[in-house]
Amino acid sequence: MRGTLFAALLAVCPGLAWAGDLTVSDPVVPLAPPGLMAHSAYMTLTNAGDVPRTLVGVAADGYAMAHIHRSDDSGGVATMSAVDAIAIAPGQSVTFAPGGLHVMLMHPAAPQAEGDTVTLTLQFANGEALPVTATVRRLKHGS
Amino acid sequence: MTRVLAFMFCLLAAPLWAQVQGVELDEPVALPDFAFSNELGESFTQADLDGRWTLIMFGFLSCPDVCPFTMGNLEAAVSETGMRVRPDNVPQVVFISVDPARDAEHVSDYAKFFHPDFRSFTGARDQIDTLIEATDSFYRLMTPDQTGYYEVQHSASVSVIAPDGTLRAKLQPPFDPGLTAEFLAQLQIKYRKARS
Repeated sequence: MRGTLFAALLAVCPGLAWAGDLTVSDPVVPLAPPGLMAHSAYMTLTNAGDVPRTLVGVAADGYAMAHIHRSDDSGGVATMSAVDAIAIAPGQSVTFAPGGLHVMLMHPAAPQAEGDTVTLTLQFANGEALPVTATVRRLKHGS
Repeated sequence: MTRVLAFMFCLLAAPLWAQVQGVELDEPVALPDFAFSNELGESFTQADLDGRWTLIMFGFLSCPDVCPFTMGNLEAAVSETGMRVRPDNVPQVVFISVDPARDAEHVSDYAKFFHPDFRSFTGARDQIDTLIEATDSFYRLMTPDQTGYYEVQHSASVSVIAPDGTLRAKLQPPFDPGLTAEFLAQLQIKYRKARS
């Protein structure tokens, strides 16, 4: 029954991905300036299940590589580091957002336009792979 | 009831007040001569600072997260500043790439993506180092990975330069547009008072 509900939800919310008790909401690839080697994807991952889940990698169609990265501001200097694994406890969410966790998309095969989609495959420690469709759109900045 | 409302207001507003959007320098810092350019043949030199407010951000075009987020916030902050100051006091925004090897060929496209009036440049290493040092900024090209890609660490702050060409303040993350605009408007008021 729950599966049917989720399937129905998926049909009406194309931005929502679901595998087991994991859901991904608001997957987005901000439209990037032209000619860049790297840009980012963001989303929120929620573990609605009873067991901890661990995100260990990501692949992106149309890119040579994709990595999980974290931006930090250490003493006023913007730094980035690769993240090997992200544990998501039952009932918890992890948010990928500008200035923090991001999926770094490297070497795009083609330039992107607003409205395009990027298929990301989230890889988990238990071997599960969760496909996510992220939409390319201009990020709105505001107070 | 009033007290409860006041308390609730404080709870809501306190995190905003606690955010520091900018730091004013104790003393203005004069900037040395510098020269940057882009592939369109446009230049950015000390003379371009004369008579208007300028915001300078250092970064690199392959910066996947922090640079586009900062530039997007600057676009919103400058737009909000435009509602608070005279049109000729709306700051010009300049992005300087510290990564000319990868960026020189198409550096001009970058800033324009965020606003048609924003401009981006790069230049010779000694020019980059001169302006970095003069603005008390920082960058470091990291070791390339197996694909040849390298990251660049750089100052997250944005330099605020007054119409007399001196460095006056640094804007800091998270660059909340409204609060940044308020900081810039207050800085301009202080600047004019000090000179009148």
